[in-house]
Amino acid sequence: MANAVQTHESVAAADAHAPHAHIDHDTNTGISNTKLGMWLFLASECLLFGGLITTYLLYKHPLEGPTPKEIFDIPFTSTSSFVLLMSSLTMVLAVSAIERGDHQRLRIWLGATALLGATFISGQIYEFTVFVREGLGFTTSRFSSAFYTLTGFHGVHVTVGIIMLMSLVLLSLRGKLPEHRAETVEIIGLYWHFVDVVWIFIFAVVYLIP
Amino acid sequence: MAITSHDPIPTSQLDGAVKDYSRDKVYVLTALFLAALTVIEIMTYAFPDFPVWSGNLVIAVLMILMAIKFFTVVYIFMHLRFDKPILTWIFWAGVTLAAGVYLVALCTFRIFWPGHHG
Repeated sequence: MANAVQTHESVAAADAHAPHAHIDHDTNTGISNTKLGMWLFLASECLLFGGLITTYLLYKHPLEGPTPKEIFDIPFTSTSSFVLLMSSLTMVLAVSAIERGDHQRLRIWLGATALLGATFISGQIYEFTVFVREGLGFTTSRFSSAFYTLTGFHGVHVTVGIIMLMSLVLLSLRGKLPEHRAETVEIIGLYWHFVDVVWIFIFAVVYLIP
Repeated sequence: MAITSHDPIPTSQLDGAVKDYSRDKVYVLTALFLAALTVIEIMTYAFPDFPVWSGNLVIAVLMILMAIKFFTVVYIFMHLRFDKPILTWIFWAGVTLAAGVYLVALCTFRIFWPGHHG
């Protein structure tokens, strides 16, 4: 028990006095392997989404079927984008909450992030349904295939993020997410912010640039 | 009551540096800044004839806004600004590699040439 109290006190002290609450790990880089792995994964994801965005740019002028200008509902997508952007705020507040040991707020912010993510996904499903009803299926044109593949891949990433966030909420409810494991929340937060960053790119390149 | 490793540390038992936690304020202000940039992005669609982004200027304006939003999220929300420099190197290696490879791919297909329609 004395060790446990010591662990708490040292973590709290490190958090209190470290300017940015990042504690050094006993590795060559001073970064935990999981965090390093997540950043490497995110770097590789740049290549995945870069490829999908490039394909979209090459095929954005359809040879048949509806054009992007005819089919996109910019006000609706703007609202969805805003929702996803705000989920990044709730995510970072969740990380902040666990770093100071506030588990109730952690669960509230994680739940809010998952809810905002689910709202975004619902909007995407609705958007896809409307597009299909208006005659833009996956195989209608090269534009539609590139568009659905790009936004669909992003949607899958958001869905995976929601599952991870809900898992964190469950872990926290069962008392298996103490503040010395704050880095777990931070790492999932990195994934979530990356998904948001990718959407910032997609929103501008796919929807807004004429 | 004894504190176990699974119990949260009550905020009252932490010192001021954690208790005040001014980073939350920074995060909220950052989100407001990002929201404001998004509003400007949407205005380029709503008011396409506005002189600042009329014609082809809109592409440059949107790319700049997108880049500012990208850097803000990565450096503040993802803590890259506060973290070890090696993480910045890793992430930028991925971004630079992706940007380089795909710019070359797009140039191969002459996408930036006048009159290109795929």
